[in-house]
Amino acid sequence: MKIFHNPDLPAIDEYYEPWTYNYEKLISTPQKKHQPSTRPKSLITGQPIRLKWGPNWEDDLAGVSTTGSGDVNFKNLDYQIYLQFKKVFMFYLPRLCEHCLNPACVASCPSGALYKRDEDGIVLVDQERCRGWRYCVSGCPYKKVYFNWQTGRSEKCLFCYPRVEAGLTSLCAETCVGKIRYVGVILYDADKIATAASMKEEHKLYPAQTELFLDPNDPEVVAEAISQGVPQSYVEAAQASPVYKLAAEWGLAFPLHPEFRTLPMVWYVPPLSPLVQFLEESEEAVHNPEAMRIPLTYLANLLTAGDEEPIRLALRRLMALRSYMRSKRLEGEADSGVLEKAGMTEEMAEGMYRLLAIAKYGDRFVIPTVKKEKEFDLYQEQGAAGFGPHGA
Amino acid sequence: MSVLNTLAFVVFPYLALTTFVVGHLYRYLTNPYDWNSKSSELLDKEGLKIGITIFHWGIIFALLGHGAGLLIPQRYWDALGINSQAHTLFATYSGFVVGAAALLGLALLIYRRISKDRILATTTLNDFVTLGLLFFVVATGFANVVSGLFDHFDILNTIAPWLRGILTLTPDASLMLKVPLRFKIHILAVLTLLGFSPFSRLVHIWSVPLTYLFRRLIVFRRREVSL
Ligand code: HEM
Ligand code: SF4
Repeated sequence: MKIFHNPDLPAIDEYYEPWTYNYEKLISTPQKKHQPSTRPKSLITGQPIRLKWGPNWEDDLAGVSTTGSGDVNFKNLDYQIYLQFKKVFMFYLPRLCEHCLNPACVASCPSGALYKRDEDGIVLVDQERCRGWRYCVSGCPYKKVYFNWQTGRSEKCLFCYPRVEAGLTSLCAETCVGKIRYVGVILYDADKIATAASMKEEHKLYPAQTELFLDPNDPEVVAEAISQGVPQSYVEAAQASPVYKLAAEWGLAFPLHPEFRTLPMVWYVPPLSPLVQFLEESEEAVHNPEAMRIPLTYLANLLTAGDEEPIRLALRRLMALRSYMRSKRLEGEADSGVLEKAGMTEEMAEGMYRLLAIAKYGDRFVIPTVKKEKEFDLYQEQGAAGFGPHGA
Repeated sequence: MSVLNTLAFVVFPYLALTTFVVGHLYRYLTNPYDWNSKSSELLDKEGLKIGITIFHWGIIFALLGHGAGLLIPQRYWDALGINSQAHTLFATYSGFVVGAAALLGLALLIYRRISKDRILATTTLNDFVTLGLLFFVVATGFANVVSGLFDHFDILNTIAPWLRGILTLTPDASLMLKVPLRFKIHILAVLTLLGFSPFSRLVHIWSVPLTYLFRRLIVFRRREVSL
């Protein structure tokens, strides 16, 4: 009977009331001494409204006085200290649907309208089966399902699946000007998902999830994948996968809030930040992530359920990569000593440099096209697909 | 009179029921995208809480009560040791409670539709007709329960067998001849509501998530092979 009662459903004011401006006034007002001005009006009722909160309202620290004290990532840190001007830090974190391995949105849908695609793991809402329960909205810990009050249905990121099927990356990654998004194939052991998601200690969730990822270069894994019907092209894409390298091989990328136990599949590389002044003088500090402006604890709360060790290592590797490349390029003599201290080899450093700094399109996105020829009668499909409520 | 009676209690019921069945099938098959409860909780949560809860509990138990009381012939109840007097007594008191809950709930819902700006702006004519018809149905039903307290009428041997006759395709309009007007109005209103419901948000009734109890938690789908 619990499913008929869900007090956690959000109301629109917890987002913001959508609005527009009465732009037509700009051209319909007769000539006057003063410029006509536009006033905001609600997109729901059409009435003028006063704006109090809106999308990205708190960007660039603007709303931190309202939202900051509730930021769970300040756990074990004194939030007050970071309000001091010289200590303030910020960085951007784009939140996407994580297309989780253990998606809470799917599990919470009474109608069974949400599903995870077997072939590529994309999580979708079947718009024809969604009945507007909105339990996915309260179910997703990342708050990435939204209720459309006009259609009465929930909507979410669809990872640009028509593009992915065609071997292209999602548009958000394609158009990222910073070239910091990477998309690739990961082979994983689906039988171990339940064990990985139910690790007792929260900080074990991140390593457990990494263990799900299978090494695509291991001949045994390849043989097993092929025997289970994974197409050769998928295996090859997995071998060239930038995300496997970042997440599993190099340990640079981490899941966002693994303690939510949904096994999220969009991973983040923690940012380097300026070293704090007073330590900068010493030789030590140059390789010390503790001396960074963004507290390690904060990043660990964000990405590893509080375990600082993996984050420290990742940051050290990124710093070592910089030193190494500087020594190689500027000093004309490659200093592999810094690499060793961070547990890296020269080959690894070259690979990281190529993927992170050169960041060629073809290296960042390795996506196989869907093998439709095996599943459809292509001749019959020709001309039989189209758009519209009943087409396709 | 008898012609009118036949029209009202044989022809009209079948028209309404046909619209009901065909309408649901048509809508579900041709436009599944439209099949929805049109939740408005996002726009106004507080106003919904009490109204929607007591209305749903009231109306669902009212429906169950109607099913048990009208569709199961009295002789089965007799066999269980519940004679028609006890049956009527129980029906009256339980009907009073659930009817009052549903009626009050509906009143709150209608009030909410009108009084909240956001809700009023997103309410369609269809929503008003649905709520209005429901209100009329529940109000007349409730009035019948109340008036039954003072002026007993034997439903179990008139309306109940007539209804079973309709459903078993052996209609007998003569059973309805002596039924007081207040019951006739309720019945005709219900039939109208049934005929209208496939075209309203009431279709959500048929999507009770029973399968949720049995399905596995994470739903996977594989691309369908279409040949
Ligand atoms: C069988 C189980 C039922 C379920 C699970 C159910 C569920 C729902 C849900 C989720 C809503 C949307 C509430 C919102 O705005 O968030 C709703 C609204 C509504 N339901 Fe039901 N319902 C059921 C049965 C019924 C029945 C039997 C009737 C009437 C015969 C009914 C009449 C209505 C009406 C009129 C509304 C709209 C109320 C308004 O927004 O003004 N429901 N229902
Ligand atoms: S992030 Fe949220 S919406 Fe996306 S798959 Fe995970 S639970 Fe579902």
